Amino acid sequence: MKPAEVLDTYSGVTTLTVDFFDTLVTRCVAQPTHVFAVMEKLLVDEEGAKWEQFALRRVEAEQQSRIVASGTDECRDVTIDEIYLELARDMNLSMSQRARLIQFEKDQEVAHCVAVPFGVAMTNLARERGLRVVVVSDNYMPSAQLVAMAHAVGYQWLTSADIFVSCEHGAMKHNGKLWPVVLNALKVESSAVLHIGDDAVADGSVPSGLGIHTYVRDAMRRSHRHIGNTAPDILPLSRIEAIYRDEMDSRGWDAVEVLGGGMVAMVVAAQIADVQRVIAEREVVGIHFATRDGYLAYTVWNRLRDAGYELPPATYTAFSRSVAWRANMTECNEKSIARFVGDDEMLTIERLERRLGCSLVSTLGREKLISADIARSVLIDNADAVVEGSRQLRHRMVRYLENQGCMTPGHHLVIDLGWTGSAVADLADLIVAESAGKATMEGRFTGLYWDATPQRRRLAMNAFAVDEFSSVDDNVRLLGGIRVLEALITAPHGSVVDFTVAGEPVFVDTQPELRAYTSFVGRLDEYAMDSAYDMLIGKHRSGVTAADISGEVLWASMMQVIHSPRIDEQLLLATVNHLTSMDHEGEGRCLVASAPEKPSEVLLEDLYSMYDILIHRHWLQGTLSSWHSIPDARWIADEIYKLWPLTHPQWIHIKR
Amino acid sequence: MVTIVMRTFERPVLLARAVASVQQQSFSDWQLIIVNNGGEPRTVDEVVRIAAQRSTVSNGVITVLHLAERVGMEVASNAGLAATESEYFVIHDDDDSWNSKFLESTVAHLSTHAGDVAVVTGFVKMHETMRGDKVWPEREEEFWLVPGRLTFRGMIGANTFPPIAALFRRRLLDEVGSFDETLPVLGDWEFNLRAVKAGTFGFIPERLARYHVRTSDSDRTAGNSVTVGQDLHRDVKLQLQQRWTNEPAVNGVNKGQMSLSAQAVLEAQEMQQQLDEANRKLDEANRRLQLPWRRVVRSVLDPVHGFRAVMRIVRRLLGK
Repeated sequence: MKPAEVLDTYSGVTTLTVDFFDTLVTRCVAQPTHVFAVMEKLLVDEEGAKWEQFALRRVEAEQQSRIVASGTDECRDVTIDEIYLELARDMNLSMSQRARLIQFEKDQEVAHCVAVPFGVAMTNLARERGLRVVVVSDNYMPSAQLVAMAHAVGYQWLTSADIFVSCEHGAMKHNGKLWPVVLNALKVESSAVLHIGDDAVADGSVPSGLGIHTYVRDAMRRSHRHIGNTAPDILPLSRIEAIYRDEMDSRGWDAVEVLGGGMVAMVVAAQIADVQRVIAEREVVGIHFATRDGYLAYTVWNRLRDAGYELPPATYTAFSRSVAWRANMTECNEKSIARFVGDDEMLTIERLERRLGCSLVSTLGREKLISADIARSVLIDNADAVVEGSRQLRHRMVRYLENQGCMTPGHHLVIDLGWTGSAVADLADLIVAESAGKATMEGRFTGLYWDATPQRRRLAMNAFAVDEFSSVDDNVRLLGGIRVLEALITAPHGSVVDFTVAGEPVFVDTQPELRAYTSFVGRLDEYAMDSAYDMLIGKHRSGVTAADISGEVLWASMMQVIHSPRIDEQLLLATVNHLTSMDHEGEGRCLVASAPEKPSEVLLEDLYSMYDILIHRHWLQGTLSSWHSIPDARWIADEIYKLWPLTHPQWIHIKR
Repeated sequence: MVTIVMRTFERPVLLARAVASVQQQSFSDWQLIIVNNGGEPRTVDEVVRIAAQRSTVSNGVITVLHLAERVGMEVASNAGLAATESEYFVIHDDDDSWNSKFLESTVAHLSTHAGDVAVVTGFVKMHETMRGDKVWPEREEEFWLVPGRLTFRGMIGANTFPPIAALFRRRLLDEVGSFDETLPVLGDWEFNLRAVKAGTFGFIPERLARYHVRTSDSDRTAGNSVTVGQDLHRDVKLQLQQRWTNEPAVNGVNKGQMSLSAQAVLEAQEMQQQLDEANRKLDEANRRLQLPWRRVVRSVLDPVHGFRAVMRIVRRLLGK
C-alpha cells in the first residue's frame, strides 16, 4: 500500500510510531552486519592484519553480550558499550581502542545510512495530517545516534524526545515491555496508535496484541542473508544487492534480476576483466569464450567492442565435454568407454547410438533398457564402429575449430567456468595435435577443484576464484554449488552434440533446459550482461567496477548465493532441472532435491549416503536450506550441518 | 631474487601442480630450477612446456636441469643451487604447494629482519590419496609450530618443519656449507641445525605452506620419502646422532646426546598427539555409534516413529 492508503485505512489514529532501521533509515549495504565489514576493511587498510575478521567478531560479540544481558534481565536490550566490552575481551582491546571503535562504528553508521523513500513519504504525510510521529526501535544505539543518522538523511524534524529506543528504557518492542512505556509517555490509548515496522513479531503481532494498529512492511529486509556471513570480500555484492533493494522498494522484489545483476554479472565481468589483464601482459592470437558458459561473456565482450572499446575480436567456441571426449577417443576399451556411461544409468541401444554417433550391432532389443555394465560391453563389442564414429566426429570438429581460428599458430585463451578443466584439456589436446603443436591453449577458469590437478599436464590453466590449492573445505563447498552456476550461466541454445560436415555445431534442445531458459534463465542472463557491462565501463549504479572483483571477492559472492540463498532464490532454483547425462537427454535432476517423503522414517545412519547423493547430484547447500524450512525435514538438515559443518549457511568462520 | 629448487623424479602430475603453485605467487622476482633427478627428460620438459603457456601474475624464469642418473636428494639440491645465483633460496619439493602469498611474506620478513638467516611459516599437512593421475585430498591437519621449535634446542630432537615452509638467505651456504650429500634423507634437518647456529630463524604463524603427504592407500610411486621410507629415516637419524655423539662436546654438551634426549621428549609429545588423534577417532566412532541410539530416543519421543521402527526390526528378524 502507498502511505496515503495506509493512513486512510487507520484514519482514527492520532499517533504514528515507526520503527527506525529498515523503515525510516537503511544502509547502502545489503544487511546491517555488512557495515562491520566496511569497518574491517578500513581498519585493515589503515592498521594492518590484526583487524582481520573484525566484522564477524563484532557480530559474535553482540550475540555474546545478549546472552550475558539475558542472564540478569530478560526484558532489556544491550547497549553498544556492552557489545564492545565483549569484543574487547575477545580481541584484547584497550579502553581507548574500545572507545575509538565505538565512535568509529557510530560514524560509519551515519556515513552509510540512506533514507527509505516509503519512510520519508509516510512520516511527511502523517505530520502534514497533524499526527504525532515518534520512533520506537529495538536497538543498542542511543537515541542521540539515531538522531544523527536521521538528520544525515533528511529527517531534520526528529529529536531525541521523539525516540524510544530499547537500550535506554530497559524494555524491548519484541517482548512487549517497551509499548506500555511508549503509551504512558505519549499519554495515548493503544487504539489511537498506528505502528509501522519491518519485523512481523516486534512490529506486528506483539503491538497488535496490545491493541495497537500495525502495518508491517518488510521490503528493506529482502536483501538480508545470514548475519554471520560478513567480511570485506562480500561488500561489492552487498552494495549491488542494496541498490536492487532500494530500486525494488516501490516496484517489488525480483529475485531473477537480483541474482542476474548481482552474482552472475560479477562472474561475467570477472571473466572479461581477467582476459583484459592477460592480453595487456602477453601476446595472444585467439580469445575463445568456450562451451555454453562463455556465451554471456562473449556477448558482453562484443558489446564493449561495438561501443568503441579497444578489444581484439573474440570467438564463441561452442562445444561440450561429450563431443570433446568423443573426438579424442582413439580406442574403445573398458577404460576409455567408462566415462560415456554413468554407473547408475539405464540406457537403450538406440540411445547409445545417439550418444556415440554410430550404429551398434546387438542381439538385444533396440528399445530395451539395459544396465551400465551391459551398455559398456555392447560398446566394446562394437569397438570398431565406435572408434570410426569418433574419428569422423573429430574430423568435423577440427573443421569447426579451423573456422573459429583455434588452429591459428600461436597462443590462445579459452575462457570457461571450469571445475575440473577436463573438457578444455581435451580440446587443448586436440588442437595441439591437429596443429602439430603450433597452436597452444591456456584455460582461464572461474574455479577449479582438486580433480583439476591431472589436467595441468595437458593444459596451462589459471583459476580466478578458487583452485585446488584452496582448502579441502572450500573445494567441497564449490563442488556442492557448481550446478547452480552451470544452470544460470548459459547460452540461449542447447548443448553441442555434434558438428556438421561444414563445421557448424549441432545443438540439442532438451525440455528441462528449454523450460528453465524460457521461464527465467534467459531473462536473468540479460540482466547479468547489462550489469556486467556497466561494471566493466565503470558506470554501475552501485559504484562497483570490474577492478573491485578480485578472486576473493568473486568467491565470496558465489558462496553468498550458494550457501545462504534467500527463500525466493531457493524457490526459483527449485524449478530448475540440471542435466548431467553425456547425451544431454532425459529429465535431469532438480537442483534442489525434494525432502524425503517421510522424514521421520529416515534412518540417521542413512545421512552419509544422503550427503553423497546431494553433493554429487544436486545443489547441496540449497537443498539443505530448503529442507531446513520444512518442519518435518528440519532435523535432517540440522544433523547434516552437525556432521559436515562446512555445509552450514554460515560459511565464514573465525579462524582461532 | 629467490631461487626455488624443485627436485623431481617421475611424478609429472604432482610436478605440474607444484610448478603452478610457484607460478601463482604474488611475488615476481623468482627463478625456478627444476632438477630432474634422473627421470625421463621428455616428461619434465612437457610439464614445463605446458606451464610456460600459462600467463600468471608472476612470470619468473623456469629452467630444467636434467641429471643423467638418479642421485641423492641433497646432491640434486646442491646441483640446483650451484646453477643459480640469488639472495634467497628455498627447496620446494615436487609434491608440495604454497599459498600465493608465501614468497611475498617471507621475502618481506627477511628484508626487514637482518638478524634472521631464515624464516619459516606455519604450514598445513595435507593428507591425500593418489591413484594413477588422480589426487584426492583426505583431510587437512593444522601442524603445530611455535618459535621455540625453530631454535637449535627446538630442532635437535627431530626435524620440526618441512623444506616447503622455509626461505633461507643464500649466504648461509658460504657460512655453514651446502647440503650434506652423504645423506640419502634428512639432509634438510642436518642443514637446518647448522644454519640455526649462524643466526635466528624468523617465524610467520600464518599457514602459507602445504606439506602434502600421500596416504598408505596411494600408489607406491606417489609416496613421500617420509611415508614410504620410514625405516630409512630412522636409520639415517641414528647415523647422524652417532656421528654427533662422536664429535667432541662443546661447552660440556655433546650434540649427539642432546639430540637423543630431545628426541625422547619429542617422542613422548608425539605419543600424546597420537593418543589425542586416537581419542578424536574414538569420539567420531562413538558419534556414529550414537546415531542409532539417538534414533531410539527419538522413537520414544515420537510414538508413531517408534512403532514403525519396532515393526522394521520385527520384519528384519522375520527375514523379510
